[in-house]
Amino acid sequence: MGFSEHFPALIVVVLFFTAFISPLLYRWARKLAAPAVIAALLAALAMVVVLLIQVQQFGIYYYHMGGWPPPWGIEFKADPLRLYILVVLISVSLWIFIYALRDLGHELKTRVIGWYYTLYSVLVGSMAGIALTNDLFNLFVLMEICAISACAIISIKEDRECLEASFKYLILSAMGTGCFLLGVVMLYMVTGYLNYSFLYQALVEAFDFYPLNIFTAAALFIVAFGTKAALFPLHVWLPDAHASAPSPSSAMLSGLVIKIYAFALFLMFYEVFPRVVLEAVPLSEIVLWLAALGAMFGSIYAMIQTDLKKMLAYSSIAQIAYIFMGIGLHHSLALVGGFYHIMVHAVTKAMLFMVAGVIIYSTGVRRIDQLTGIGKVLPVTMVAFTIGSASMVGIPGTGGLISKWYLALSALEIGRPIFVLVILASSLLNAIYYMPIVINAFMHQDEFKKEVKPVPGIMQLSMVVGMVFIIIFGFFSKPVVTLLEQAAALFF
Amino acid sequence: MEDQITRITSRLVVPFIQVYGIYIILHGHLSPGGSFSGGAIFGASLVLVALSFNLEAGSKQIPHNAASVLESGGALGYLITGLVAIALGGYYLSNKAAGFPMGEAGSLFSAGAIFIITLFVGIKVASTIATLFYYIIEGEK
Amino acid sequence: METLQGIVDNYYYMVAIILFVIGMYTMLTHSNMIKKVIAMNIMDASVFLMFVAVGYAHGSQAPIIRDNVEIIYANPLPGALILTGIVVAVSVTAYALSLVVKIYRYYDTCDYDEICEMRSKE
Repeated sequence: MGFSEHFPALIVVVLFFTAFISPLLYRWARKLAAPAVIAALLAALAMVVVLLIQVQQFGIYYYHMGGWPPPWGIEFKADPLRLYILVVLISVSLWIFIYALRDLGHELKTRVIGWYYTLYSVLVGSMAGIALTNDLFNLFVLMEICAISACAIISIKEDRECLEASFKYLILSAMGTGCFLLGVVMLYMVTGYLNYSFLYQALVEAFDFYPLNIFTAAALFIVAFGTKAALFPLHVWLPDAHASAPSPSSAMLSGLVIKIYAFALFLMFYEVFPRVVLEAVPLSEIVLWLAALGAMFGSIYAMIQTDLKKMLAYSSIAQIAYIFMGIGLHHSLALVGGFYHIMVHAVTKAMLFMVAGVIIYSTGVRRIDQLTGIGKVLPVTMVAFTIGSASMVGIPGTGGLISKWYLALSALEIGRPIFVLVILASSLLNAIYYMPIVINAFMHQDEFKKEVKPVPGIMQLSMVVGMVFIIIFGFFSKPVVTLLEQAAALFF
Repeated sequence: MEDQITRITSRLVVPFIQVYGIYIILHGHLSPGGSFSGGAIFGASLVLVALSFNLEAGSKQIPHNAASVLESGGALGYLITGLVAIALGGYYLSNKAAGFPMGEAGSLFSAGAIFIITLFVGIKVASTIATLFYYIIEGEK
Repeated sequence: METLQGIVDNYYYMVAIILFVIGMYTMLTHSNMIKKVIAMNIMDASVFLMFVAVGYAHGSQAPIIRDNVEIIYANPLPGALILTGIVVAVSVTAYALSLVVKIYRYYDTCDYDEICEMRSKE
C-alpha cells in the first residue's frame, strides 16, 4: 500500500500538529493561522478518502502504533463505517471552520482566536481518533481530550452563561469518563485485554465465569456514553452548553461531538460486547426505550423554548435519539437509518446553528417571537432555515426523510410498529415548533423592526452549501446507502 | 506576600528541585518516574518561585512568549519524533524498528526514541504547569 | 461466609468502589463548585486505585529485570495506563479550577445554588 499505510495515524497527527503550531502562527504570522487549519483539514479529508477507496478494494485495514501488534500496542482500525464517520466529521468541520472565520471575530476577543484554532483542531483530531481507535484505553484518553476541548470552545467566550454552562458540561462529562474508566477496569479485570477485537473473543469465555463484571461494565458504558451523547434523561447539560456557546462552537458540538459518542457506544455494542452478553440482558432494549422517550421529550421541551438557540439545542436531544434508535433496534436497515441520520443531522443542525449565528450577527435577535417578518430582510438565511426545518421534520426531498424511512422500515421488519409511531409522532412535534417560525418569518404582515447589518458573503455561501447538501441527501441517497448497507452487513 | 523566611528558603531549595526534576526527566527510561513526574517537579519549582516572591519575579523567570514556544515545541517535538520514525521506514512512533540508536541498556543515552520523547514531554509538562498557574492567577490580563 | 471471605480478601476493590460512590454522590449533589472538583478527583482516584489493584499479585515485586532472577512481578500495564490517567485528571482539574476562578470573579461566590438564585433575580 506504500505511503498510504500510515494514513490512519497521520489523519490524527496532522490535526494535532496544526493544533500546536497555530498559537505560534497566530502570534508571529497571523495571516497563516487560519489557512494552516484549513490545509490540515483538507489533508485529513484527502487521506480519509484515499483510505476509504483502498479499504473498499482490499478490505479492513489495521494500523499498529509503533509497530507493536495488539494486544500490547495501540491499534487503529480502518473499516468502511469508521471511514464514513470520518468523512462526515472532517468535511463538516471544515465547512463549519470556514463559516467560523467571519463569525469568530464578532463573538470572541481577537486575543483568543489563535487558541480557538488550537482547540478546534484538537477537538477534530480527538474525534477522528475516537472513531479510528480499536483500543479501550486509547478511547478513554481521546474522550478526555475531546471533553476538555469541547468545554473550552464554549468557555472561550468569557461571559457568565458560557462559563457556567461549560462547568456543568465538564462536571457531567467527567462523571461520564469516570464511569467509562471503571467499566474498562471491570473488563480488563476479567479478560486482561483492552483491544476491541481481543475483548470480543475473550468476553465470550469470560461471560460464563464473571457475568456480573461484564453487566456492570455494560451499564457503566451506557451511563458514560449516554451522558456524553445527551441520551435522554442524561441530557441536562446539553441545552445550556449548546445554546450559550459561540455559534460555530454550537454547530460543532450539536452537529458532531454528541454523534461521535453515539458512534462509540455503537462500537461497544457491536465490536466489544459479544452477542451472548447483549442477549442475556436487554441492553439494546434499554437504549431503544430511552431513545424513544428522548425523541418525544426533546421535542416537547423544544416547543416551550423562547430562545432560538435553546430550541435548536433541545431539538438535538430529539434528533440524537434517532441515532440511538438505529443502534438499539438491532437490524441492518436500522443501522443504515441511524448512520445516515448522523450525516444528515450533522449537516442540518450545523446549518441551523449557522442560521442562528447569522441572525444574531446581523440583527442581534435571539428570541423566537421577535423573528416575525425576518424573511423579508434576510431571505437567504430564512430559506436555509426553512430547508433545515424541512429536513428535521422529514419532508420528502430532504435528507431527513431517508433516515426516518429506513428506521421505520426496520421497525416494521422486526415487527415493532410502536417505534414507527414514535418516529411519526416525533416528526409531527418537530413540525409544530419549526414551522411557525418559518411561517411567521415569511408570511406575517408585520415588518421586521430591528436594524439589519449586511451578512458577509462567506457566511451566506456556507448556508447555501448546507442547503444544497441537504437536498442532495434527499434525492441522491443511493451511494451512501449502498456503502452503509455493505458496512452494516459485516455486523449481521 | 513578602516573607523573608520563605524567600530565603525557596531561594535555597529551588535549584535543587529543578536539578531533581531534570534528573527525573532524563532518567525516565531507566527508573520509575519520567517525563510527567519530572516535568511536574520542575513546573512546581517555578510555581514556588512565583508564590514566595511575587508574580513579576516568577513571570520574568519564564516569560509568556517563551512559555508558549516551549509548550507548543514540546508537543510538536513529540509528534515530529513519531513522524521521523515513519520517514525512517517504521510505523508511527516506532523505536527500534525504525532504526533509532538503542545504546546500551542501563546507560543514560539509550532506549532510542523514548529518551527523546521523554525530554520533549518533560519540557511540555513543565511549561504547561507554570503557564496554567500564571493564567489562573492573572486571569483577565 | 465465602462471600465475606471474598470481600475481606479483595478489600481494595471494596475501598475503590466506596470511594467511587462517595465521589460521584458529592460531585452531583454538593452545590459548592470547589467541592465538586475535589469530588471529581476522588472519583478518578478511586478508579485508578482499582486499576492498579487489578495489576497486583500477592507477594509480587516491581517489574524491573535484574540479574535474570525469576521473580513474580506486578503487571506493569495498569501502572503505565494509570499514569496517563493521572495526567488527564490533572489537566481536567486545572481546567475546572480555572473555570471556578472565572465564575467566582463574576458572582463572588463558589456556591452553585447562590448563583442560581442571583440569576433568577435578574
